[in-house]
Amino acid sequence: MPPSLVQDLESDSLLSLTQAQVGCDFQIRRLEGPGCDQLRNLGFCESIQVRKLANGRNLICSVCGTRVALSSDLADQVKVEPTDS
Amino acid sequence: MEASNDLIALAGNPNAGKTTLFNALTGSIEKVGNYPGVTVSVKQGGMRSAHGKALDLIDLPGCYSLEGGSPDQQIARDVLRGDNAKIPKPDLVVCVLDASNLERHLQIALEIIELEIPVVVALNMVDLAEKAGLRLDPVKLSEELGVPVVPIQADKGKGLVELKQSLGHPFPATPEIHWETGDAESRRAFGLQVADLAARRPEAHTSTVSDKLDRILLHPVLGWVCFIGIMFTLFWSIFSFAGIPMGWIESLQDWTTGIIEGAMAEGDLRDLITQGIIGGVGSVVIFLPQILLLFFFIGLMESSGYMSRAAFLMDGFMSRVGLSGKAFLPLLSSYACAIPGVMATRTIDSPKERLVTIFVAPWMSCSARLPVYLLLVPMLLGGSEGGAKQALIFLSIYVLGTLTAFVVARILRGKLGPDEVPTHFLLELPPYRFPQWKYIFRHVLDRGWAFLKNAGTVILGIMILLWAATTYPKLDSDDPAEVLSHTIVGRISHVIEPIVKPMGFDGRTGTAILTSFAAREVFVGSMAQLFHVDEADEDSETRNSIRDQLAKETWPDGRKMFSPAAVISLLIFYIYALQCLPTTAVVARETGSWKWGIGQFIFMTVFAGVASLIVYQLAKLFGLA
Repeated sequence: MPPSLVQDLESDSLLSLTQAQVGCDFQIRRLEGPGCDQLRNLGFCESIQVRKLANGRNLICSVCGTRVALSSDLADQVKVEPTDS
Repeated sequence: MEASNDLIALAGNPNAGKTTLFNALTGSIEKVGNYPGVTVSVKQGGMRSAHGKALDLIDLPGCYSLEGGSPDQQIARDVLRGDNAKIPKPDLVVCVLDASNLERHLQIALEIIELEIPVVVALNMVDLAEKAGLRLDPVKLSEELGVPVVPIQADKGKGLVELKQSLGHPFPATPEIHWETGDAESRRAFGLQVADLAARRPEAHTSTVSDKLDRILLHPVLGWVCFIGIMFTLFWSIFSFAGIPMGWIESLQDWTTGIIEGAMAEGDLRDLITQGIIGGVGSVVIFLPQILLLFFFIGLMESSGYMSRAAFLMDGFMSRVGLSGKAFLPLLSSYACAIPGVMATRTIDSPKERLVTIFVAPWMSCSARLPVYLLLVPMLLGGSEGGAKQALIFLSIYVLGTLTAFVVARILRGKLGPDEVPTHFLLELPPYRFPQWKYIFRHVLDRGWAFLKNAGTVILGIMILLWAATTYPKLDSDDPAEVLSHTIVGRISHVIEPIVKPMGFDGRTGTAILTSFAAREVFVGSMAQLFHVDEADEDSETRNSIRDQLAKETWPDGRKMFSPAAVISLLIFYIYALQCLPTTAVVARETGSWKWGIGQFIFMTVFAGVASLIVYQLAKLFGLA
């Protein structure tokens, strides 16, 4: 299978942070979109754990022990999958 | 800064505690807070190393990365790269890192290490990190990075001796780099690996006090109840509680005037001291308690970490006027003073949003307008101060200024169009901390002193000139109105009157407005002097007596001069006019163009004049004149 197809299939199976459930822990798998640099500056990096704390127009989540508020546009660019625990 | 001293720079992410460390090392009282972006310009100071060697210290604005970012972050980047024309490249950089969040804070440290400047890492807030369950290993961190690492608690002054020792000669050598220089991916991966080794996080997510507080303070309903409650307490304290110390100042003024009047013979000199200096300057100084309270509350919100929560709550509302929650911080600061408010816009990433915020910030009623409002509002209520009606009118004044600012912001934002690079709302919500009382009080006293200094210099000067202009040339007459019309002010008033009369003012009020273009608060003192024609009135320096005097004033046809229509018109003028030259200068500096500074001044003055004219004419139609 070509690598781009693998990536597409993987992307389809991932949730965006907007879709993720409040109160659960997730692992960041990929950042997609123009806000990547802004997100990485605040600790949203691949393989980092994130906990979603609140939904809304702006989401609240905890990343690297820091609470961060981010717009749903940005949260859409964070692709996560649930952690095993 | 002495050229011979070594230059040490404090750098790191926003809200890492750099300014707290700077204050602790230099003994300064630079403003600190608990939200990202308190420091927006480079602060300089001096300190000594553990061996007594003099060192120059600079505190750089926080930045997440040396690439991109807002204007304050660009300043930090230029200094660290040696591209700043005014500040030489630092000899050593102290990277201040929040120990609770090494994964993120390490990135800037690695970028600085890449610049091949000697680096010392100050691992700050280790107490909070350990309380959150992190297992810190500063020795491991030092080994991995190849630079000295000193655990500190800047707010409690712990670890400072060790930090000073690490700043002695020879400076640490630039370490071997274990990642691919210039490759963000490789740097990030290395940073995460080091953070995992040196700061092990507990497996389970533990709910902290901040989490619990945020569940209430950021709740969609309860959060707003708390926000409105906090704002209400803030304004209630300013307009009600402050009355107690204001009474003390008033009594002090009366007492001083009494002593001088008892000790000096009647004459021009006694009049100058009692009416010009004590009456004029005193009428402004009396508002000191309110100004101190306003700065105290804003300091409390900044220091505790609530300011970021307020920005979060306000984002939805602000987005409707084309701004983001980040504009809330500068706009709220502008209620105290537009100058720090305009400077605080440096934390806004979008250049166009920043410009719009700067443009409308002076419409947030600043503390200098308070004296004017406090003089005028009771005149609408039959002269009595206090009470629910007065609070309601005050609230309306603040709401009117704020709403107009939002409408203009919406229009201007639409005209400027979207940003070339779209920016999104992304804000760190720092853990709640106990306020740093020492810095809050020192900052409040600092602002209070600045206010008094202004009262003792600019306002005193204007008051003396105004006293002279209302006294000379003298006319030998018993009619005080005739005496006044013969003086310099009387003559100026005649010239101004036809211009300001359609707004409901006579020439003397017009003159008082003119004098207040140097500083708004001068208006009260000017009115006290310009309308103080009844020498028998002993308490003329108090607001009540000014109001009594104004209430007696009539037009030549016998109509009341300060009718509700005229008072409302005057209030409208002060809500909208930009009568603050330092603000214009700061706007010009921040926007990089006098075009914006002067444009804003002209726009707001014309807007104020036209609004005042329309309101007066409409009120006249409704019979309020």
